[in-house]
Amino acid sequence: MIATRVRSWAAWSPGLEDAASWRRWCLDPKELECHGRPDAAFLPPMLRRRCSALARIMLTAAFECCEEAERSGVATVFASRHGNINESIGLLERLAHGQPLSPTRFSHSVHNAQAGLYSIAAHNQQASSSIAAQEDTFASGWLEAATLLSRAPERPVLLVVGDVPLAATFATLVDEPEASYAVALLLEHPSDGRGVRLSLEPAAEDPHRLRWPDAVEFLRWYESPEPRLVLGAGLRRYAWERVGS
Amino acid sequence: MGMVNALGRGADEIWPHLTRGESRFRGRDDLVPDRRLLLGEVAGDLPAIPRALRRYACRNNALTLAALEQIESPVRERVSALSPGRVGVVMGTSTSGVGDAEAAIRHRERTGELARDFVYDQLEFGGTAGFVAHLLGLTGPAYTISTACSSGARALASARALIELGVCDAVIAGATDSLCGLTTNGFSALQVISDEVTNPCSVNRRGLTLGEGSTVFLVTRDPQGVQLRGVGESSEAHHMSAPDPEGLGAEAAMRAALDDAKAAPGDIVYLNLHGTGTPLNDAMECAAIARIFPEPPVCSSTKPLVGHTLGAAGAMEAGFCWMMLREGDRDGLLVAPHVYDGARDPDLPPVPLAARGQRVPRGPVMTNSFGFGGNNCTLVLEGAPA
Repeated sequence: MIATRVRSWAAWSPGLEDAASWRRWCLDPKELECHGRPDAAFLPPMLRRRCSALARIMLTAAFECCEEAERSGVATVFASRHGNINESIGLLERLAHGQPLSPTRFSHSVHNAQAGLYSIAAHNQQASSSIAAQEDTFASGWLEAATLLSRAPERPVLLVVGDVPLAATFATLVDEPEASYAVALLLEHPSDGRGVRLSLEPAAEDPHRLRWPDAVEFLRWYESPEPRLVLGAGLRRYAWERVGS
Repeated sequence: MGMVNALGRGADEIWPHLTRGESRFRGRDDLVPDRRLLLGEVAGDLPAIPRALRRYACRNNALTLAALEQIESPVRERVSALSPGRVGVVMGTSTSGVGDAEAAIRHRERTGELARDFVYDQLEFGGTAGFVAHLLGLTGPAYTISTACSSGARALASARALIELGVCDAVIAGATDSLCGLTTNGFSALQVISDEVTNPCSVNRRGLTLGEGSTVFLVTRDPQGVQLRGVGESSEAHHMSAPDPEGLGAEAAMRAALDDAKAAPGDIVYLNLHGTGTPLNDAMECAAIARIFPEPPVCSSTKPLVGHTLGAAGAMEAGFCWMMLREGDRDGLLVAPHVYDGARDPDLPPVPLAARGQRVPRGPVMTNSFGFGGNNCTLVLEGAPA
């Protein structure tokens, strides 16, 4: 597959709120926090009030990753395994008791709510996708970003990946590293071929278990001198390599 | 292509109803308290999910399976000639298995525990694509797009791009949505559901009628068969649940699709409207069409026939276009009629609405999908070169 360059990145997790603290964390990683959410003071109060915790976290990473002048011109991919499912579960509990739904809560619980909120807050009218892919959500988001880059190579793609722990009702049903986090990567087509290349590989017999979400594992690798990163616990593995450097 | 919806199962069964403009809606009063809804529901039993994939058993995946079964042998034949790692899956949905989660949560509210057979894989969005990958033994990329009502159109766009990028040689792409309490109550709360069958472009239009179903395509590089010639996308930057009243986002998506297809407005012979039948959608969509097309092509909304199938709609309406292109002959294309009460809203910019039995010359067709959250996707499809 073609190479992609990471023009900039930003990430947010409770207590890890700027690039310097993430760089320190990458050298000496510890458990990530599950509770907490950013102020997201850059959002107009009307929008901010309606944001789920996940939306605040993903939008914070997204806004941090792009210069103000870039925010309206990038295509976007919002990738989340669970999305706003906690909000949907809350709505289902109301339905189970025969209570009516709030139209605003319903419209902000959809999987692409973050994308819609970003588009409004950043005045962005570009192409946008919102995806989910079980264990492979981060790598699939990267691929989806590559499809948008291929359609318009001159337009960078802002890939934002994030999740919050599932509500107690469902948390025991999923075995995964839990954290509240988002990672934003501004991806562009490298004119000189220097960047990071993703390829697919057959699944490993015995996939190793990860301590951190895939997007955070990627960030740790990206900030390290290691030449190669392999992720994937399901039917396939994804390998990233540095090329042209 | 495989398809299931309120009109039936498979192109051969659906095509006559589609072109005669026949609908099959059913009233249900068990979904929204104190309200009877007309719904485009898939009738009859759905295929059983294989035992080994029981963790994916839910109505949404059973609908996908009902569509996929129709093309299973050509798909398996094609796939067996390729490496399984070179075949991808991109599915759209806005519901995934949420209908089954509703039952699990009702069970928990009664008994304190989730239903024992409830598994998260049924509910999570990614499971819609994961199910197809596991069912067919595909190890290429597999992911679900959920951009509300444009999900299905976007899935086809991404499938084409994965092939163009060289990541895949073939992609199973489509979309599925299933009727459930969450969407029926949510759209009811938004006051956009009509009590009568949806009546797009009418002065009497009062909103949408919900439906369900699935459409799946085998997307390849093959120059034979129907071609996905153009994709256009935009975001609204306007409102979470209402389009820009001027239709600027819709216009941007249609113009981008024409550019991508290297087509002029005058080339388009038919346009499948998003046509939800809400006052705002039809007004902004017709306004956008009038600005782009000096002489708008023949248009119809197929939502009065199958309902608005939300996350599945973009792929289903591309599927209807696929049928029109496939059935086309030297005399042109027979297109789906625009079924409504005939009382055209005089305030809408005039676009020609397809009558029953209407034919158009052969040529590229366009289909619009405008989603919640302001996500727009327009596709241009064309029949195989003669």
